[in-house]
Amino acid sequence: MDYIFHIIILINIYIILTTSTNLLVGMTNLLSLGQAAFYGLGAYFSVLALMVLHLTIIPALLFSAICTSLMSLLIAYPSLRLKGDYFVLATLGFQLIIYTILYNWISVTKGPFGISGIPSPSLFGLLYISGIYSFLVLSSVLAAMVIYIFYKLIHSPFGRALKGVRDDELSLLSIGRNVTSLKIWAFTLSSGFIAIGGCLYASYVAYIDPTSFNLDEAIFILAAVLIGGTGNIKGPIIGAVFVVVLPELLRLVGLPDSIGANLRQIIYGLTIILLMRFRPQGIAGEYALK
Amino acid sequence: MSESILNIDSITKSFVKNIVNVHGNNEDERYFIIDDLDLLVPKGKITALIGGNGAGKTTLFNIISGFVESDSGTVLYNDKSNSINISKMKPEQIARIGIGRMFQDNHIFQNLSVLENMLIADSNTFGEIPINSFFRTKKNKEVEENKIEKAKEIFENIFGNNNSFWERKNDKAKNLSYGQKRLLGLTRLLMGNYQLLLLDEPSAGVNASIIPQIMEIIKSFVDDKDLTVFLIEHNMKVVLDIADFCCFMSHGKIAALGTPDDVISNDEVRKIYMGA
Amino acid sequence: MFLQFIANGIVIGSIYAIVSLGFALIYNTTKIFHLAYAVLYMFCPYMILTFFHGLGLNLFISFTVAIIITVFLSVIMEFLVYRPLAKKESSLNIMLISSIGIMIVVTNIISLFYGSETKILNSEISKTFTIGNIILTYAQISQVSISMILIVVFLLFLKFSRFGIMTRAMRDDDVLCQVLGMDIYKMRYVLFALSGLFSAIIGGLVAYDVGMDPYVGMPILVNAVVALIIGGIGRFEAPIIGGFIIGILQALSVWAFSARWQDAVTFLLLIIFLLFRPTGILAERKRLV
Repeated sequence: MDYIFHIIILINIYIILTTSTNLLVGMTNLLSLGQAAFYGLGAYFSVLALMVLHLTIIPALLFSAICTSLMSLLIAYPSLRLKGDYFVLATLGFQLIIYTILYNWISVTKGPFGISGIPSPSLFGLLYISGIYSFLVLSSVLAAMVIYIFYKLIHSPFGRALKGVRDDELSLLSIGRNVTSLKIWAFTLSSGFIAIGGCLYASYVAYIDPTSFNLDEAIFILAAVLIGGTGNIKGPIIGAVFVVVLPELLRLVGLPDSIGANLRQIIYGLTIILLMRFRPQGIAGEYALK
Repeated sequence: MSESILNIDSITKSFVKNIVNVHGNNEDERYFIIDDLDLLVPKGKITALIGGNGAGKTTLFNIISGFVESDSGTVLYNDKSNSINISKMKPEQIARIGIGRMFQDNHIFQNLSVLENMLIADSNTFGEIPINSFFRTKKNKEVEENKIEKAKEIFENIFGNNNSFWERKNDKAKNLSYGQKRLLGLTRLLMGNYQLLLLDEPSAGVNASIIPQIMEIIKSFVDDKDLTVFLIEHNMKVVLDIADFCCFMSHGKIAALGTPDDVISNDEVRKIYMGA
Repeated sequence: MFLQFIANGIVIGSIYAIVSLGFALIYNTTKIFHLAYAVLYMFCPYMILTFFHGLGLNLFISFTVAIIITVFLSVIMEFLVYRPLAKKESSLNIMLISSIGIMIVVTNIISLFYGSETKILNSEISKTFTIGNIILTYAQISQVSISMILIVVFLLFLKFSRFGIMTRAMRDDDVLCQVLGMDIYKMRYVLFALSGLFSAIIGGLVAYDVGMDPYVGMPILVNAVVALIIGGIGRFEAPIIGGFIIGILQALSVWAFSARWQDAVTFLLLIIFLLFRPTGILAERKRLV
């Protein structure tokens, strides 16, 4: 039973990651290879909040989300001046810079040794969230909250304007909308919410190191979104379920982990190639990448 | 001539093209797309801009609406009360002070519904920051409902009471026919708070049966809404029918100016349009 | 010491230059952001390993066969993935994502069969060669000299051969090329083969010196892409210049700070270029229309 709960918690974390990324990729047509960097920043900021500032869980979540959004604002402004491949490259560059900093700034992040013994967060100082059941509740609540917020965002005038950016930037400019500021909003919101995933991950696993937030992870998050589908709410959720459940299924059929790890990556890769060719909007998505 | 809404003063736009000559060496050549052009666009009238391909018409529109920066010269926009120099402004600022633009291709939002295409074009941007999506305040709702009401009214005014656009309001815009997309693009302009509309070939590429409807709409912009229309047009019938003034552009300059009948009898214009 | 670092920079720069050139060959002509190019770099050494250690063939023959297989893989990528997408007129972002897909698949197939740990091709300690106080291994010297030969031959080829002219024409306007009756898909096969060749040769040489694992390609490719941006997109001399700049700069940042920060320095340079001079050092003159 615990095993199933563990899977559900992982799915919840990935739902937060993919739903936030969808705001960028699916709604605004900005392909970012830097999402793992914000996931990582969120995790490290939450460690700062929990271990150094001794905050309880809600302030810690807010702290890491806000700090990560502010960091992303620094990155958003220069990157968003670039278009197409150049934007992808800029996000890739920032992803690698942030990873290098997390890896090498040993005095602060402990670098490759990672930070262990992250304490269980408390709720209002009354209740300690430790053990799998409380994390199940916490992660489900957070995932539901993130889904709800993005549902609201997508179906609001703001969401409509973002879809406008995706469909036709020129036209949106000609009707007097500030495209850059809309993109910056999408970028910072996406990274702020992805930080919540980072915070959840850090407090659940109680150990973080930079390799969880490297370029492979960024590609993995992007792959999850694109497999599930872009542009609506259910696509990213399906993507998250797919990428978390597939390895467990492979384990269930009795493949040893050594083969399973590679095999599932091969399956992800093939799925991406086939989807891009035959169904570029993903399994359940609405909009194909442009 | 009546009061002018747009005062274009010695606008120049050129680019340097690096070409490889027959000997394989690089050579620089300077091309003038717009060459020291002056023009006054009269207020409350329909002015047509005609000229051959590559004469610089679309570039001139791009300069007016801020998508391209001119090398030199100024564009003054005479608002109701004051005149504003718009030559250094960004496209979105220019749109907000009252210059609407319709592009040559159908630049509507393909994946938004017909209604959403109208709502997004509204001049009121209230509610388009994320914070308003979380808290559905009364104001929010009111603004949205007003926008929908406005869109409905515009459709009814133009296309009659039981129009197909309002019936298909939840269809995605990409499912409309080419001509309908054009009509939607034109109608959308009424959602904004514009004084001057720049229309780039409103009749190009659409079914001949729709052209009278398009002309009707453009006329109604001026007659009913007191707007000014400045349009690029290749269809001389449309120009003769609706335009009050006509200017002929050639090699980046205004070569002839006057009423459509005057301009069309100009020799150079005849050469290009009638092949005579 | 300083000269030694410069020499190391030139060695690593020659690797970046060749990889960057191969990447540019695809990117400049087809506009595909071919991230899967990274796997070709590590695929060739594994093929050498198979033939040299596995089947016990002579080193030179295994090298040749491995290069041929790698070139073949490169062409297969075009045939199975990019060509159908190009015919469907898919967007460049879709090409990019598909390329990531190929990269994941090939990397993990290699890792499945050969394991993900570092493998070495040559267990002998390489002989060194000393000029003044600069020490280089023979493998490094061969890397630099073979890179130089490749670069010179390629640039001459590009300038004077019919194929080179067609490549440059395709860089400028591939639709026009089609209109003029060029079979651009046939051209694309040749381009993919050629870029695969570059990657295979340099990947094999480097792996012979320092060994390989399934993930070596990506960091090299990322640096090569930075080199391309810094050099300037559109010209074929640019990635070479960019490659050497990055190589020497990295070596100098090792000299000045430590090896840990060389990546950060590279990407900072990338960001600076993207922001202030996105056209690169050898900018094509900008066309406004």
